[in-house]
Amino acid sequence: MRSRNGSCSSSFSTYSIIFLLFYSSVIFADEYLISYRYFVKNSALYNETLDVSKAMKKCSGKPYDSLSIEIKDTHNLKQILLQNKEKFTYFLNKIGFYITNEELTYNGNHVARTIITLKTTCFKVDFNDNFVTISPLK
Amino acid sequence: MKEGVLCSHLRITKMNKRTPLSLIVVMLTLLGLSACAQKSDVDCQKTKQEVVVNTKPKAKPSPNNALILHSNKPLKISVVGQGVAPCNGACSPSQAYALAKRAAIADAYRLIAEKVKGVYVEGDDLIKNMMVKRSTVKTSVAAYIRNANVVETTFKDGLCEVEMEVVLVHSQLTR
Repeated sequence: MRSRNGSCSSSFSTYSIIFLLFYSSVIFADEYLISYRYFVKNSALYNETLDVSKAMKKCSGKPYDSLSIEIKDTHNLKQILLQNKEKFTYFLNKIGFYITNEELTYNGNHVARTIITLKTTCFKVDFNDNFVTISPLK
Repeated sequence: MKEGVLCSHLRITKMNKRTPLSLIVVMLTLLGLSACAQKSDVDCQKTKQEVVVNTKPKAKPSPNNALILHSNKPLKISVVGQGVAPCNGACSPSQAYALAKRAAIADAYRLIAEKVKGVYVEGDDLIKNMMVKRSTVKTSVAAYIRNANVVETTFKDGLCEVEMEVVLVHSQLTR
């Protein structure tokens, strides 16, 4: 309903714009499940795997760290992470990796295997204009 | 030095039987040795002293030198991991670098885990008819490491070396 001087509707529209601006990140925030794993045998890398999928259920926890990556041409998170692999792996170093190493020396022959794993972790992902911000939930 | 003198005496007794010329030469050397006897005694004393110094029991490593995590002081652990690319000239240099770096990081993580957590070692030898038939050594380590930093990366002749460090804080470990 319009007021006599018309200020009510204008203030309502202003508040709605402010609300949208402030909470747009919340509205468009998604949650993704990311896992990363690679296998090193005799100091050589094999089977590097990065799995990214949207969370089917809402994840519990609060974001505790964040990484911002510039978006160039795609909005596919996996492609963005693969394009910025160096930055992403450095960020994963902060979060933490599970390391499993097994070495076997059989009659003088030595074989070493190391598996580095980021267990499936829920990340909050915000797509803004030119940036994507990902932060793990804990 | 005394042992040396004894040895020279033995040589003299053997050489006496052979030739008179050699005997003269040996006598002269003996005279020279006797002239330097006092000096050699001093040397002997010196060597004795040195031996005594060497045989002293080694000082026990003080707790300050050992890698012990104290509650008030964080402990920095630094390692250098090595890795190579799996492709023998089949991939581009940049690809080889990227792959070798990942492998080097994994190696550095293993070294950190070994330092912090320790290694489980299992050895198994089979001896049959006084011969080693089978010898197996298995080592394993498993750990969760976070907040590790890559300090420096070098890539030369297909080998990538990554210096990595992690800071251990007492309060974070005793949560």
